[in-house]
Amino acid sequence: MKIRLFHKFFFAFLTVGILVVTVAGFLIERELKKDRTMRIGEETAAQTRIIALMPIREIARQAGKLSERTGARLTLIDAAGWVTADSELGGRETDNHLNRPEIQEALLKGMGKAVRYSFSLKKDMIYVAVPLKEGSQTVGYIRLSRPLTEIALATYGMGKTLFAIILAIVGVSLTIALLFSLRMLSPIRRLAAFAGQVRTGNISGILRIDSRDEIGQLAESINDMVSALGEKIRTAEAERRKLESVFSGMRAGVIVLDAENRIESVNSGMEKMTGRQHRDVIGKTLLEAFRNSKLHDVLEGFREREETASEEIVFGDHQPVTMDVTISAIRGQTGAEQKTMLVFHDVTRLKKLERIRTDFVANVTHEIRTPLTSIIGFMETLQQGEIDDPGKTLEFLRTIHENAERLNRLVDDLLILTGIELGETNFHPERLTIEDALGRSLTIVAERIAEKKLKLIEEVSHDLPPIRADRDQLIQIFLNLLDNAVKFTPEGGTITVTASPGAEQELIVRIADTGVGIAKIDIPRLGERFYRADKARSRDLGGTGLGLSIVKHLMNVHQGRMVIESAMGRGTTVSLYFPLSEAMP
Amino acid sequence: MEEKRHINIQYDKELQDVKDSLIYLGALTEKAVVQGIDALLNRDTELARQVIANDKLIDRLDTELEEKCIRLLALRQPAARDLRFITTAIKINGHLERIGDMAANIAEKAIILNQEPFLKPYVDLPRMAEVAQGMIKESLDAFINEDVALAHKVRKDDEIIDHLNEQIFRELLTFMMEDPHTIHRSLIISQISKLLERVSDHAEGIADMVIYMVTGEIVRHKPTSAENG
Repeated sequence: MKIRLFHKFFFAFLTVGILVVTVAGFLIERELKKDRTMRIGEETAAQTRIIALMPIREIARQAGKLSERTGARLTLIDAAGWVTADSELGGRETDNHLNRPEIQEALLKGMGKAVRYSFSLKKDMIYVAVPLKEGSQTVGYIRLSRPLTEIALATYGMGKTLFAIILAIVGVSLTIALLFSLRMLSPIRRLAAFAGQVRTGNISGILRIDSRDEIGQLAESINDMVSALGEKIRTAEAERRKLESVFSGMRAGVIVLDAENRIESVNSGMEKMTGRQHRDVIGKTLLEAFRNSKLHDVLEGFREREETASEEIVFGDHQPVTMDVTISAIRGQTGAEQKTMLVFHDVTRLKKLERIRTDFVANVTHEIRTPLTSIIGFMETLQQGEIDDPGKTLEFLRTIHENAERLNRLVDDLLILTGIELGETNFHPERLTIEDALGRSLTIVAERIAEKKLKLIEEVSHDLPPIRADRDQLIQIFLNLLDNAVKFTPEGGTITVTASPGAEQELIVRIADTGVGIAKIDIPRLGERFYRADKARSRDLGGTGLGLSIVKHLMNVHQGRMVIESAMGRGTTVSLYFPLSEAMP
Repeated sequence: MEEKRHINIQYDKELQDVKDSLIYLGALTEKAVVQGIDALLNRDTELARQVIANDKLIDRLDTELEEKCIRLLALRQPAARDLRFITTAIKINGHLERIGDMAANIAEKAIILNQEPFLKPYVDLPRMAEVAQGMIKESLDAFINEDVALAHKVRKDDEIIDHLNEQIFRELLTFMMEDPHTIHRSLIISQISKLLERVSDHAEGIADMVIYMVTGEIVRHKPTSAENG
């Protein structure tokens, strides 16, 4: 930058300087030459005229002396043009001189002058000729000539001076260029530095140049531009930050695909939902990243129809997550590459609730209808005449009663459940020991355990800390679980009841059986109302399908939790975790 | 393919299309195996039927993909890395199609077993299915990410499968000797175990091809450590 500007200035000054000096020198030299030539010519002419006054013979005799005195070559020419005497050539023969321009001119005007190159002396010469007269008759010519070497010498001297002037000009232009470039460069360099700083992103500060010339105005404009730019960038940055925090903060998952269908960005919601890290999926296609055929199908469908597509897809095999995906195009400027946006919503919970609701209605209807059908059926049979048979009547009435009882139980259970859910059940917590409630419950089912020839193992420590619980509800929990254990354990099986302190201020009660077990996929749904792992068998055994549901809700009331582990054919273990609060009354 | 790009963008797109189609097929067969096993373990006949029906789609995609690869070979005359990629794709495609068939076979056996009483709680079979599923998953992951280390792990996992297969066979043998009524069911379970063993062999085949694709080395007949492929 600096070098270039300096060079430009330097060469500009140098060229102009040299050009001026050269042209001036040339012109001056020409004038000088002309002037000198003229003066020499006049001087020579005067001498010639003076010599011409002498008689011819005298001139011829004294030619050498005259030439010496005047410092010029003297030539005497006769009227026919032949040289009769010459101070320098001596007696050598020369050609006829009548046609020489100075002789011709002298013949016509009385004096002739000419400048030309002399082949005989090999020099630039000036010739002056005057006719010699005797009376009115021309008898010859006298010619003086001298070389112009003095002029060349004079010009040479002037050339030397000119060269010195040019050298001086070089020096001066060098200095001026340096000064100029330095003076102009300083603000320009500051401008450049400032522009560089803005380019790297630092848009703060202003440029101060105390100058009113164009550079000062430029600096002013740059300042205005930078402040406007800064304002725009700050606005854009704020907008970007806002969008980015929306993008990363939203719970829905978002994926943006570039024009080549590769993943361009993923938000943290998506990372959480799929457990895939940002760096594992960026730059990959959807298939490479998630290997989900349904998702690919939805995307393909979107590409074909070119309209926003929405579909439910399932991610993962073992813990499936149902997601609602919406695919839409990100419309940019026309001609820009089109991007695609996929928005995912986790609807697993929603789907589950939906299923529970529909199942619940279906189940309630079914549970109520079964006993009702049999009540109505037996009533009709009685009406149609069987009432006359006392034996059958009694039997029928017993069946009707059984079914009515079952309906009653169902309604009772539903009421309990609704009560707990609405928080209307009276929860009377007191300090009590698990051992006591467990004992009461076991007494109630003891008879049935004996009937089925089950083995009961009781491992309850006697020094368990008391818990805070509602006695009746606790008994209800244990009864429901023991009831299930007895129901689903074949004859000769074992039921194990243990109670022990767990880690972290907990008390764990486990009721394990060696019964039929529950399939893995049913376990998460066991707390749902009317959900039965083995539908037919459970109903045959007289369950309402609400037992575990009630336990689950009661455990919630007690701020505890229930965990069910099971293996098909091996049995089921239900673990109840009761919290031990330290601040007990 | 990611880092090296061809001047011809269309060619790149075609290669990516082959890769995506292969992953799509992989996703389907992976799901088929998972569902086939689920149908067996949860005694879900409906799901088993679905798996069998889906196999038709897998077969169709297999043919389509092979045609795509052959067309690429003929028209683009790929060299070096691309040639290895396409030959790999053709072979993996074959493995996946066979895995799909086996998933359908497992589903068929599940339907037969579901009509009979429960023989015994499965212990080793779910474990074996889990390992086999893991192998398919990892072999596909290795293919997508060109992960040679993962491919080697898949090759090693095959030993676990072989071991479990033997264990299941011995256990079933005792069942059959104790009670001849269990022979039919035991034989079917034994067949399922054998099918899983073959599924894992195919997964190993995919892993072999991934190693070939990335390194150019053919490891198919080289021992992993003791067992051969």
